Amino acid sequence: MIALNINGEDRTVDVPEDMPLLWVLRDVIGLTGTKFGCGIAQCGACTVQLDGRPVRSCVLPVASVGTRSITTIEAVGATPAGKKIQDAWLDLEVIQCGYCQSGQIMSASALLNRNPDPSDRDIDTAMSGNICRCGTYPRIRAAIKQAAKA
Amino acid sequence: MKRLGLLFLAAVVVVAAGVAIFLFKPASLPDVSEAQAKLPTGQALIDRGEYLTRAADCVACHTTAGGKPYAGGLAFKLPFGTIYSPNITADKDTGIGNWSDAEFVRALHQGIDKDGQNLYPAFSYAAYAQMTTEDALAIKAYLFSLPTIKAEAPKNELGFPFNQRYVMRFWNLLFVPSGPLQPDPAQTAEWNRGAYLVEAMAHCGECHTPRNLMFAVDNGKKFAGAELQGWKAYNISSDKKTGIGNWTDQQLFDYLSKGHAEGRGSATGSMGEAVDFSLRHLTPDDIKSIVTYVKSVPPQTSTDNAIVEAEPAALTASTAYAPSADGAAQDGLGLKLFQGACASCHGWNGEGIQTPYAALKGSRTVNDPDGTNLIQVILKGAHMTTPQGRQSMPAFANAYSDVEIAALSNYVLGHFGGKESAITPEDVATARKQ
Ligand code: FES
Ligand code: FES
Repeated sequence: MIALNINGEDRTVDVPEDMPLLWVLRDVIGLTGTKFGCGIAQCGACTVQLDGRPVRSCVLPVASVGTRSITTIEAVGATPAGKKIQDAWLDLEVIQCGYCQSGQIMSASALLNRNPDPSDRDIDTAMSGNICRCGTYPRIRAAIKQAAKA
Repeated sequence: MKRLGLLFLAAVVVVAAGVAIFLFKPASLPDVSEAQAKLPTGQALIDRGEYLTRAADCVACHTTAGGKPYAGGLAFKLPFGTIYSPNITADKDTGIGNWSDAEFVRALHQGIDKDGQNLYPAFSYAAYAQMTTEDALAIKAYLFSLPTIKAEAPKNELGFPFNQRYVMRFWNLLFVPSGPLQPDPAQTAEWNRGAYLVEAMAHCGECHTPRNLMFAVDNGKKFAGAELQGWKAYNISSDKKTGIGNWTDQQLFDYLSKGHAEGRGSATGSMGEAVDFSLRHLTPDDIKSIVTYVKSVPPQTSTDNAIVEAEPAALTASTAYAPSADGAAQDGLGLKLFQGACASCHGWNGEGIQTPYAALKGSRTVNDPDGTNLIQVILKGAHMTTPQGRQSMPAFANAYSDVEIAALSNYVLGHFGGKESAITPEDVATARKQ
């Protein structure tokens, strides 16, 4: 049994310690907002936050989470940065197909959390690891800037 | 004159006969009865054998990537040709199922197979020669307790004269110790245990000690580091600059037992395998003994430039999530690739965001201007089993071109090691073939 704190709730899951956190979230707990993209830490679709820091849940063995609290796309709107990001996202209609967007929002809100006024370069640095096949990058950049002003 | 000529001829004949006897005399078998009598039986013997088989890391060479354990077939590309490790499961046709105890001990101690043929020293019998007969027999008992696997190893591809196995007898005479390692009474029990584990079991020197012209481990340069199969085995002598002399005991302990030490990065490549297959299974006491012994090996200065820069400017100016403004302004291909593919796990300050295993700060691999291991890790990725699950870095060989990997490597060396490097796409192309 592995104890986790997910979106403020304590849960225990009966899974092998090697299981990637992404599988636990999606298949065991049923939080399917976090997406599976590449499975090898390359696309960012599976990004969640551990104590507010973005990590790639597809390559994170669940046993290595420890006592850090997990925030997923389902609850990031309850954090101040997450709320601002999601509002800006809706306002600017960032999303195309949406597949990458949970990960984009998790990375963007973590960025805003640690850097309330990111420059273009800061945004590049923080967001380059999140790939969007639909090419919504210009709108992502604009939305992060708008969120920073909100 | 004629008499002298005859005498000379006679001398030649005598020497030739002596050499022929030396080369072709059938190898005798050791008497193992005393050791057999001293061993436990049943599960206790198998358990001891399992531990020792791990300590000797037999699986690393006798298993192919993704293959069945101990079924052999792994290729060793040497300057004189390619040889393949044999099947050491107890299969009677393709493995060692018909080997007697004495034959097994003779193979480990003298490098001679069941039929009396000489084996090649890619099999590290020059190290195992120092193993006690009891330990060798325990290893056999463990191997024989495993499921048998039918698997014929590919035929060796060696040219003349290296395909003449008897040539190895000369080599053995020169380079193979003639009995188990004797404890040094001037040293502590811990040191002696460490010496035994390092020399007779883990055979660290087979990779970490340079080889002489005859391809034997050159113990005059013990642990000074060497390069093999496209990877560097770093200097692990107690030299402060080029070796491990500045590592704390705790760092060595962690690196050997977990594959990662704070401030030293993580083990990858063959060393990663050595930790994963072998060292992490050893008891803490045994790891401590190894640390004690390795630290006592006299310093050897090597010419290798993989010297860790403690506080590279670019690194100290970075946070986990961003390089300094100046650093980011460089804006080259390497930086772009790093920020897209690497930064989210490794972090810009080298602390390792995704996992401590991704920490790059202080690792020799990101401090080696040759980029030897760095290129390999980028191409092949890395894996380590840990109590917190399996940690992995994906392989990027198919994702990026030689030009990209060269740029990325140069960027990483500059940022994390403060090194000026000049890795070219050709270097990456060469590394891909290894
Ligand atoms: S699914 Fe995790 S990074 Fe792509
Ligand atoms: S919106 Fe379609 S992949 Fe990003």
